[in-house]
Order: sequence, then C-alpha cells, then structure tokens
Amino acid sequence: MISSVIIATGFLTITGLVLALLLVLAEKRILNYGECKISINNGEKELNVAGGSSLLASLAENDIFIPSACGGRGSCAYCKLKVLEGGGAIGPVEEPYLSDEERKTNVRLSCQVKVRNDLKIEIPKELFSVKRFTGIVEHKKPLTYDITELRIKLTDPATIDFTAGQYIQLESKEYKGRESVMRAYSVASIPSDNQAIELNIRLVPDGICTTWVFDHLKEGQPVNFSGPYGEFRLSGTEAPIIFIAGGSGMAPIWSIIRDMKEKNINRKASYFFGAHSQKDLFYFDELKALEKELPWLTYIPALSGEPENSDWKGERGRITEIVPKLFPDCSQHEAYLCGSPGMIDASIEILTKAGMPKEKIYFDKFA
Amino acid sequence: MKETPEDKNLVTNLAASKFSGDGFLGNDQRPVDEIIASDLRQLAEIGRTINEVVLLLADAYSRVRSGLGDDVELYQNIVGRFYESMGRIPSPFRGDGVFEKGEAVITDQIGGQSIIITKLGLNLIEKHHFFQGIGSRYRIEPLLVFQLLSKS
Repeated sequence: MISSVIIATGFLTITGLVLALLLVLAEKRILNYGECKISINNGEKELNVAGGSSLLASLAENDIFIPSACGGRGSCAYCKLKVLEGGGAIGPVEEPYLSDEERKTNVRLSCQVKVRNDLKIEIPKELFSVKRFTGIVEHKKPLTYDITELRIKLTDPATIDFTAGQYIQLESKEYKGRESVMRAYSVASIPSDNQAIELNIRLVPDGICTTWVFDHLKEGQPVNFSGPYGEFRLSGTEAPIIFIAGGSGMAPIWSIIRDMKEKNINRKASYFFGAHSQKDLFYFDELKALEKELPWLTYIPALSGEPENSDWKGERGRITEIVPKLFPDCSQHEAYLCGSPGMIDASIEILTKAGMPKEKIYFDKFA
Repeated sequence: MKETPEDKNLVTNLAASKFSGDGFLGNDQRPVDEIIASDLRQLAEIGRTINEVVLLLADAYSRVRSGLGDDVELYQNIVGRFYESMGRIPSPFRGDGVFEKGEAVITDQIGGQSIIITKLGLNLIEKHHFFQGIGSRYRIEPLLVFQLLSKS
C-alpha cells in the first residue's frame, strides 16, 4: 500500500517537472520574439532589445529609468508613459489605473506592456537623464522631532545634474522582514552642490522607508537612488511668486530659493511655511538670514497651534487664512506649492478665489 | 470551497508587502470572508448598515483632513487630527486603484479609544465591507464607529 502511494507521488512529481520543463522550453523556442526596436519620442532615441520582457524592464536595461514604486507588479501606477504603436490591448491589471483621458492619449503602465514587437513610445525628455546612483550617507541630522536631513555623498556616478524642485527615488534596504522599497523625496540641496544630495524626510508611523531611514540607516552606510524626476520647477517668467509649503514640503522650495539666489533671479517672492507650533519649524534661522540678505524674499512662517502665551511673534493661524489676509489679490502672481494633498487642495482654493489662474499654480502633491 | 487564483492573490496582497509594511490582517488568523461576515453580523445585531458606517467615516475624514494637521473637534470630547504622508497606496483588492496616503486619527479624549481613517480604509469598507483584521493598526471596529461618531 505504502509503496503504491510512493510510486504514485513520484510519478506525479516527475510528470509535473517534465511539464514545467516543456513549458520553459516552449516559451524559449515558440515565444521567441527576437530583437525588437523601441523608438522613443519620434526617433530621438532608438533601442534594440530582446523581446519578451516588460517595457519597464527593457528600458531600465538600457539605462532609461521610469519611476516605479512596486518594482513592476502593476500596483503603484507610477510607471505611466505613452505607447503610440505596438503596445497591444490594455490588460486587466492596467485597466483600473487608466482614466478615459489617458486611454485616449495612449497612456499605459510600462510594467504591463510586453515587448513582443517594435514599439513607438513617448516619455518626458528629462527621463533620458535619469540615472541610478550609489552614495554614502554623509550625515543624518534631525531638523525637528519628526523630520531628518539626510545628506548623501555621491560615489557612482560622482555628480548629479538636476533642476531645483525635482525629486529622486530612494531605495530602502530590507530590514526586520520588510521588503526593499522605493519612495520619492524632493531634493532639498541646490543644483550647484552636485557631488551630494540632501533630503528632508519626515517619519511616517509604520512607514517602510521612513522607518528604515530613522531607525536603521547609519552615517557612512551606502545607499542607492535614481533620479532626478519631476517637472516641479521655477517658470521662466517675471511674475511675483507665492511659495506655500508645510512639513517636509519645505525641501524643493528650500532648494529653489537658494538656487534663485545663486543665479541672481530677483523675482519678488513670498514664502509661506505652515506649521503647528515652533517645534515644527526648521531652517528658520537660515531663512530669516536669507530674508535679510535678499530684498526680494519675504519669509512668513505661520503657526496654527502655538500656545497663546508663547514668545512667538510671527503669524498665527492656518496658512490658508494667512495667505489671503496678506495677498487678497493674487491675479498677477504665480504660486508654487508643496505639501500634503489636503494643504495643496485648500491652497488652490484660496489662491483661485484671490484671482490666480489655475494654470499659474504649480504644485508637488505628496500623492 | 476551492481556493481560486484570485483568492490566492488577495491573500498575498493582504499580507505585509512593499506598500503596507504590516499588511491588512494584523494577527487575525481568520480567512477574509470570515472577518467580513463577523463584522457584518455585528452591524446587523445593532440594526446598522455599511452605508451608515461609510457616511460617518467619510464625513469625519473630510472634516479632519481640512484641519491641515490641527486638532478638529468633531463632537464633544471627540477630536481628530490629520497626519500627512507622501505617496499613494494600492488597494489589496485588484482593480480598486491607488489611494492617497495620510490618516485621520480620531480619539475619544475621555474614553481613550481611537480609530484611524484612511482613504484606502474607507474604500475597503465601502466596496468590500472589509474592516481589516484584528491587530491591524488600521482596523476599525464597526461598533466603535457609532460610539465615536454618531450622536444618535
């Protein structure tokens, strides 16, 4: 009886293995798509790749890094790009992530498009300059009780070219059973400081990447990131500027203001930074010093939860109350916003009420 | 009942992942169907519906979110505060899409109980009647919703 069971089990196992082997061979021989050509941005760049992989992976193999947080599982929806020809039908995994407008304009999730034939795609031009970097944590300095400044000295490549306002994707390492993940952080340092980058990272309760940064990452350790990404940057106009930020939304604004100083861009700028109380403020002395030095800059921190009897002499109230109080007419201004989706939504509402056209409002929503 | 590939995917997605460090089940060993059925039973026993739960939670979330990180008094001794967070999180149920992170923490200042409402959590309750497993940081006890957020 026992021997019959063993024989049956062995037979089933061997049959399973043979079938699996046949499937692998079949995939290699029958589903051999050969070499495929990916034409990017109307032939600006052409890649010859081996067919069969995802478009996201094929591009990454050729040093074109499309932002992705899930590593190609089709669940973060960050890796969108336009596939003009050869992408095939939209798959069930992609479907929920694509709006009607996106479908009309051939937007796809690059991780779900398989390279089976020649493709024509369109990607933002700046993605050509995205690279994967390795660096060493030069310092990890607390800025507040829940925000830390991370400075990463670059080792390979040794320098980075970016525009003030852009972001990178930091790769956390595995720890305590948690997987390695990629998360986006705006660069806080200035483009001329191109041998390192600085980030302002706020601790998120149970956040996979931020817990790694706060509790596991040590000065001197190697880290990887890719970038730069994003289109949040100063426009080329002369319009007076309203900057609005909260929390770690400080980072891109801090970079832009100091970049303006270096490049002698003297556009009138008012920087509203919303916080709960004085313990949430950071770069305060540095910004006050810049305000003294630069006649075009006004720094207006506003505290919404500061105790009434404290020594705070600045603005009190939510940023959405302070901006319209000081700027009842914003029709000639441009605005640059960075912070939580709630803050961005509320800021857009008050700015448009004060006459600012929506197309003059640039924002970097944490979402 | 035989487990389908879709069920297997769901079990994988509900566990700790690249997106949710601790997963959605906490230390609850029950299958998802059983968690859902048990919570629905609790609601039925007090004559309440999922729709009522969703309305109360959505209203509280929206009011607390508009507080931009300040305390918002929802009812007497019931206070909420919104905590920002970068990025988006996908639903463990395929096809639901991705949701803004950020959480509204609502606390009964007398009793000490609290609930954490997220956009994803709201979707899980509304669409799948899934309040998350016991032990999950984001589980919302159905009865606690009415205790904290309903005056009637």
